[in-house]
Amino acid sequence: MYIRAASNISPQNTFGNQRFLSELAGYTGDGLTCIEPDYKALIDPKIIRRMSRIIKMGVAAGMDCLQQAGVNAPDAIITGTAYGCLEDTNTFLTKMVQQNEEALSPTAFIQSTHNTISAQIALLLQCHQYNNTFVNGGASFENALLDAMMLLYEGEAANVLVGGIDEITTNSHAILKRMGLYRREQVSNFDLLNTPGKGTMAGEGSAFFMLSREASDNDWAKIDGVSSFYKPRNTAEIKQQISIFLQSQNANIHEIDLVITGNNGDLKNDAVYEQLLKYDFANAPVINYKALCGEYPTSSAFATWLAAHEIKAGGCSFVPESDQTSLKKVLIYNHYQNIHHSLILLSAC
Amino acid sequence: MADLKEQIIEQLNLQDVKPEDIGDDQPLFGDGLGLDSIDALELIVLLQQKYKVKLSNAEDGPKIFRSVRTIAEFIESTRIPNA
Repeated sequence: MYIRAASNISPQNTFGNQRFLSELAGYTGDGLTCIEPDYKALIDPKIIRRMSRIIKMGVAAGMDCLQQAGVNAPDAIITGTAYGCLEDTNTFLTKMVQQNEEALSPTAFIQSTHNTISAQIALLLQCHQYNNTFVNGGASFENALLDAMMLLYEGEAANVLVGGIDEITTNSHAILKRMGLYRREQVSNFDLLNTPGKGTMAGEGSAFFMLSREASDNDWAKIDGVSSFYKPRNTAEIKQQISIFLQSQNANIHEIDLVITGNNGDLKNDAVYEQLLKYDFANAPVINYKALCGEYPTSSAFATWLAAHEIKAGGCSFVPESDQTSLKKVLIYNHYQNIHHSLILLSAC
Repeated sequence: MADLKEQIIEQLNLQDVKPEDIGDDQPLFGDGLGLDSIDALELIVLLQQKYKVKLSNAEDGPKIFRSVRTIAEFIESTRIPNA
């Protein structure tokens, strides 16, 4: 399936900015938060007043993506999110406790559901087509991609809008920090991977893709395949999964021009990649992306956007000039909490 | 009525709208301020929370929520028996 357009609201200046790498945003602390655009220029102010931050991030990226692709009526809208609209859920539950379950504001309740973003986009477009949201932890975005792929390959759809969205809220950050996911000490995102320790930096983002069955003249890249696997027992099983996946794509590891991995500076997390980086990915340039967007369950959507962006640009700006080759195939390998692992293969059109 | 207008703006998160922008008799729904059915629910919640007033008959809704003045009159009318 072809990526006709892509849009990304992230902790970097990625929205509507093709030169984001020359002006990387630095963060010190234990998290990275999205740089948000002026939503009033993108969404009707009458509608925007009810939207919480994640809904605005999702709707703006989705609508921008459709606009770039020149598609007003997609055949399907599919999103992936692990936590959904957390701020609305928090507002609703807090009011329920504070007001003794009486006189509850309907807006936060209506918008607390995980599928609010895909539904809001459909409402804005008056799109009555297939609409689905995958809530599968660290595999949410991958499952949304798989669903899109099946719709496109089976001829059920020609154009599908797919997005991966998650937000950090004050409460979710505090809870996940207590669970040991984030660094106790202050760290810079640029130093995160060079100073491994316990925990990483929190992240968030909203990346959308307009995926098409047929190629067009302006495609960013092609997504060849997506695969996810659950709680592998050891590195051997991961290697086997990678091998099976590449075989199914008629590719081998030596053909990969760039590998994007999900290292995040957490010792336990990064140990999973160690053997692969030393042996399996030794011949290909490898880059990491979580210093740019932080760690969150649908961060592979950011990685997919980054891969497509670099393929479209014709080379990888992260890689030293001596290692530069034209990017034909890019492999993304990421895992979230060593529970959900995923492989996404992209290639130049 | 100025207080009520401020509370409506806050409850409905009406952006770039000031109390003086809302006329006392300006229709709140449809062509007026452009509110919708979810806003109607929010207004019912506002009356319950701030004024302890419950709308006993849903059919009275359109009449009560026609304008800021009709809402204010409704609040006043329900307060008199308890005064």
